Amino acid sequence: MTAAEAAAAQANENIIEVKDLTVSFGDFKAVDGISFDVKKGEIFGFLGANGAGKTTTIRTLCGILNPARGSVRVDGRDVSSSTAVLKPLIGYMSQKFTLYRDLSIAENMAFAGSLYDMPPARAKARAAELFDFIKLRAPQDTVAGDLPGGVRQMVALCAALLHDPVLIFLDEPTAGAAPRTREDFWALIRALAARGKTIFVTTHYMDEAQYCAHIALMDRGRIIALASPRELKKTYNAQNLDEVFIKALGARGAEDER
Amino acid sequence: MSVFLRRVRLIALKEYKHILRDPFTLAVALLLPLLFVLFFGFIIDLDYKHIPLVVRDNDQSPLSRRFLRQLSAAGYFDLAPAHGMLAAQAALRRNDTAGVLVIKKDFGKNIMKGDFTAPARAQLLLDGSDNTKAAMAQAYMTGALLKINADFTRLYHADAAAANPDALVRTRFLFNPELNSRWFIVPALNTVIIGFLAIVLTALTVAREWENGSMELLLSTPVRAAEIVLGKLIPYFTLTLFDVLAVFVLSLYVFGIPFLGSFVLFTFACCVYITGALALGLVISVITRNQQAAIQFAFAAGLLPSFIFSGFIFPVENMPLFFRIFTGLFPQRWFLSLSRSMFLSEASFAALAGPMAGIIIFAGVMVFAAVKKLKTDVEP
Repeated sequence: MTAAEAAAAQANENIIEVKDLTVSFGDFKAVDGISFDVKKGEIFGFLGANGAGKTTTIRTLCGILNPARGSVRVDGRDVSSSTAVLKPLIGYMSQKFTLYRDLSIAENMAFAGSLYDMPPARAKARAAELFDFIKLRAPQDTVAGDLPGGVRQMVALCAALLHDPVLIFLDEPTAGAAPRTREDFWALIRALAARGKTIFVTTHYMDEAQYCAHIALMDRGRIIALASPRELKKTYNAQNLDEVFIKALGARGAEDER
Repeated sequence: MSVFLRRVRLIALKEYKHILRDPFTLAVALLLPLLFVLFFGFIIDLDYKHIPLVVRDNDQSPLSRRFLRQLSAAGYFDLAPAHGMLAAQAALRRNDTAGVLVIKKDFGKNIMKGDFTAPARAQLLLDGSDNTKAAMAQAYMTGALLKINADFTRLYHADAAAANPDALVRTRFLFNPELNSRWFIVPALNTVIIGFLAIVLTALTVAREWENGSMELLLSTPVRAAEIVLGKLIPYFTLTLFDVLAVFVLSLYVFGIPFLGSFVLFTFACCVYITGALALGLVISVITRNQQAAIQFAFAAGLLPSFIFSGFIFPVENMPLFFRIFTGLFPQRWFLSLSRSMFLSEASFAALAGPMAGIIIFAGVMVFAAVKKLKTDVEP
């Protein structure tokens, strides 16, 4: 196998390749020289406290932010130069926005579909399929603002999945949700991964990280640990991921003091 | 339908839904201009029907009293007698009166003789510090005098041709001799209303989407900046175009302002002006990304140029050179001059070309800037 072939095989296997990524806002480095790869079809967890740089990384991967330094490749292509090709492949559910609250469920879904130039009939059929999957009981003409938070988040996820993206970014999808809803959510996420979708998910719930194939721990713009949950527990000699996180942070703090 | 147009349409349709489901915005957009123009129009009307005027009648003849009675009956002036010239002057200085009307001693005698060649037999001294008010007072006085003159010439068989209002009462402006006396408020109202309202309306839209995070989501989809900008402009364009036409109809039929120019050209100018103002709102929205900051910016960017830099209150031609050039940056100035020319004169297209170019350039630059700013590189 030549070097070029090996690189191509790698590119095939990795849907995301990030090398030495730095994103700055003025003098502040929100993301500071991080590198990681995400394999096709895996659930990749991004963990860290608020302000660690998780959302900034996602935005850069979606092509909404331009990196100050480093390279970001999605599906073998450079994100900043081929955004138009990549956008249809990506589904993004942002932390802040769920649905337009003054529009009904059906209107929200129709709008989401039309953003990706889906024929209305196909968008409708696909929405019905997704709603079936999440067992949505609310009528389609319910105004999104009237839905309970957890349900709205589920519907928002459906909106992000409507155009059948291969790579799905979920930014804190379960933040503030009831434990029951979080379980439902993760059931859906795992079902998607089983169907071959790649899921890139950020969270600050350590128990959720168990479901990820790989997790990256982020702190103040840097990745301080990156491995499978099992490997991490072994490396840090910890019982659970909370402990891993505390120990990893402690190590970083000691490093800062030195 | 091309992909571009389809996406513009879907953004626009969504925005229409937002507007229709937000009764407050809709009410502001549709009712505010009407209220504004009615308030403005009627306040101007009411205020100037009862202009306080101090009268010093030095003649005290039946004729001078008849003159004052007729003047009072015309309804424009509230006459108050002054005891002595000193009292009259004091009232003027205290700002208690818009002016002083002085009737000379031989007022009645000269009219009886039918002598219109003698110097004016009455003098109107107007406070010119409020030029609009003074101009109105003069116009009303002229109107009232024409009627009284006709009456007097009929009674005393004087030479009607010589009996112009100036011969009876001579007017002098105090404090502001170069008086701009055109009736120009109502034709300018569209400039002010649109120059303000349109900016505020769109300033909120993109900021709202930034605030609830949906703008990020939009940008992660294949939709392009130009499609978002045009999609956002169209619904507000229709809304404001309705406003412009409503104000136009009010101006003509409620306030009786003549419209002498070309209606087609006027509509075209309105469309361009609206586009520029709406796009400026979008630029503000895209830059601030925050509804509160956007509204403050929009107020500053809308109010000051609309009222001050447009020539609405202070004539541009009287401004120092720097401001004459500076005001040229604002479309309000160009549209105001277009609007006044088109209402009050049958201006040729050539005469309108300059201001027209001004609003076209502004609209083009603003739409371009909004799109450019919204383009993919969207660092917060």
